[in-house]
Amino acid sequence: MRTWKAVVLLNLALLVGAGWGYAFWGLRAARLERELVAARAAAASGVEREWTVEGVIRGIFPELGVLVITHGDINEFMPAMTMGFRVASPKIQEGLSAGDAVRFTVRGVPPNVAVIAIQKITR
Amino acid sequence: MLALGLVARWIHLASSIFLVGGAVMIVMAGPSDRPTARRWERRMLAATRALAAVALASGLVVLSVQTALFEGRAGAALDLGAIARVVVETQAGHVWLVRFGLLVVLAAFLLLRLPVDQRVDWRAARGEGVLLGAAALVPIAAAGHAAAVEPGTARAIAVDALHVAAAGLWVGGLVPLAMLLRAAATPEGADARPYAVLAARRFSRVALATVALLAVTGALLATFHVGSVAGLVGTRYGRLLLAKLLLLALGLLLALINRSVLLPRLGGDGETVGRPAMRRLSGFVAAEACLALAILGLVAALGLTPPARHDAPVWPFAIRLSTAALEGASAEATRALIGSQIAVLGLAVLVAAAVLRSRMLPLGALGLVALGAGAGLALPPLTIDAYPTTYLRPSVPYQAASIASGAALYRENCVACHGPGGAGNGPAGLNLPRPPADLRAPHTAQHTAGDLYWWLTNGIPAAGMPGFGARLTDDQRWDLINFLRALSAGYAARNMGKAVEPDRRWLVAPDFAFAVGPTPPRSLKEYRGRVVLLVLYQLPESRARMSQIAGRDGTLSMLGVEVIAVPTDADRDAIRRLGEDPRVLFPVVTDGAEAIVSAYRLFAPAPHAEFLIDRQGYVRAIAKSRGQAEDMEPLLGHIQELNQERVSAEPPPDEHVH
Repeated sequence: MRTWKAVVLLNLALLVGAGWGYAFWGLRAARLERELVAARAAAASGVEREWTVEGVIRGIFPELGVLVITHGDINEFMPAMTMGFRVASPKIQEGLSAGDAVRFTVRGVPPNVAVIAIQKITR
Repeated sequence: MLALGLVARWIHLASSIFLVGGAVMIVMAGPSDRPTARRWERRMLAATRALAAVALASGLVVLSVQTALFEGRAGAALDLGAIARVVVETQAGHVWLVRFGLLVVLAAFLLLRLPVDQRVDWRAARGEGVLLGAAALVPIAAAGHAAAVEPGTARAIAVDALHVAAAGLWVGGLVPLAMLLRAAATPEGADARPYAVLAARRFSRVALATVALLAVTGALLATFHVGSVAGLVGTRYGRLLLAKLLLLALGLLLALINRSVLLPRLGGDGETVGRPAMRRLSGFVAAEACLALAILGLVAALGLTPPARHDAPVWPFAIRLSTAALEGASAEATRALIGSQIAVLGLAVLVAAAVLRSRMLPLGALGLVALGAGAGLALPPLTIDAYPTTYLRPSVPYQAASIASGAALYRENCVACHGPGGAGNGPAGLNLPRPPADLRAPHTAQHTAGDLYWWLTNGIPAAGMPGFGARLTDDQRWDLINFLRALSAGYAARNMGKAVEPDRRWLVAPDFAFAVGPTPPRSLKEYRGRVVLLVLYQLPESRARMSQIAGRDGTLSMLGVEVIAVPTDADRDAIRRLGEDPRVLFPVVTDGAEAIVSAYRLFAPAPHAEFLIDRQGYVRAIAKSRGQAEDMEPLLGHIQELNQERVSAEPPPDEHVH
């Protein structure tokens, strides 16, 4: 065989090898990425979930059944912020006042969640 | 272990580079049927085979030393499991794998000794050597310091790859060229003389382009890894780089002589024409190659040294040059201006001298005199005293907590001489040889944080200031420096009013951490990109104003403003005490308030203060009051102004340390 043919073959082999390796790994990585996103989405929607976080009562609206709470990060649902939460039953709001440090539990299918339990904490 | 790693890297780098250069030189010289040229080519091929073997062997040593350094134990160098982990799990390992694989293919290819009798086969075989060699060399850029440059990693790697490729072309071609010239300069090698001359001319042309490329990419890499004069002269990395540049300058001087004096004398094909020049050129090129080898050793050392940008520079001189020295000194500024213009004129005359060859001497002398005189006139006013720590970067960030502890340290250690307000009017300072410095004065801009650190640590003996190096820890001294920075900034901010001055950002809002109740701590920095209204209040005086702000909560959040309220009495029950009517929904700090109050009171010594902080983290307006209700409309107007302002490209304030 002529040398130049051997060289062309060698380069082709290297190119194909590199391309095949890249495609194999690239496709694999992309598939894993897609699966991860799908798994996250499945975990985040359609399934009832429950979180327990700490916060401070900022406002109480008994007539609306809403508590405004400054809370910390709610894992995979929302970052730390001040917002209103529906309460599952009016009883939950009893005995609370603005400024109370609390640990509360929200349950529901995001974004429809409600406070199902709350207790004051002393620091 | 480190010495072994250095030597292995050196050998590996040099063999990889000479491999590429040798292959390129063969291609550049081209095929020939002269016996001496054929002999040279055979020797070069044998050398490339040997170099490939050396590169493979030293590559293994580099990997095993790298593993030992990663794992932090010498035993890991021979531990196959640890080596496999490094290869599979680190980027340097991946790069090593790719390069080593290509080197193996290259070595196998070189050992094949394919027939090259026809021209096209010769070109294919020799070209493949260049291709594989370059492919095995260039990825080295992705395993060095360039891979750690943030941001712009890809750009840094690309520049480094170009640098390495150009080095391979230039440095690697020197030894083969020297050997060819030497062979052709002997009486027996006369047949290859035209071939050698042609090769030398081709190499010279390519070398000129690659040296230009090396200079450009090298300068770019220096800005990535060094970035400042202090880094260049004050760190190990910088000094190694300077040594490299010195060797390079010597090499370029030789190259200049070769190109402009020796190369033109090579012409002719006879027995004796050009032979002495050829022998001398061969010697000079070999000397260049030796310098290049030394440079590669320095490069190997640079690869094992943390880049200057990530090192604390030690300033080696007693003075530094800065235009900050001219602030407030108009006569000096004029002098510096005139001097610099004379110097620029001198430079222009020097350029003219280089262009107009016929009047080179008088013009050159005139230019040099003008340059010297200009520098002599301009430089003295620009000098400022400097210390080894002048360019040391603070190890404690400019944050409220640090400023607060610095304030406490100041009260304990400094008040006696510098006075409670920092004006330099303390009772103990009256009898000192030099009056204590007014720490509020704006001239502190002339002093770097590192200068202050030096004075705090070692004192100023001539002025009677004691050193605190033994009494205060490193962090405490930086706390004090952060406090002094805030004190000086606060003095400068004493006239800042409620109105926003367009596009004047200078008062950095010190970062702080705070928590509302049991929620996890947050920091002011997280609010970058939004306008923040920071309110320092005290009850009951501020109640009217707080109710007013709470009442306009909807408008404020519509404008995108984040309100952060800080009680000056640092009360854990602060939210409860604000009451339920009107509802206060913005964050009220219950943890971390003391430090915020201590730091921000330096900017606004008032019972109730409101700071308007722009999207980039600068305080833009300060409203001081007793907490009474006031018209809200002007405040909303100023917020709107900040919202409409274009965000400038200035760096974020944290990097604003002098």
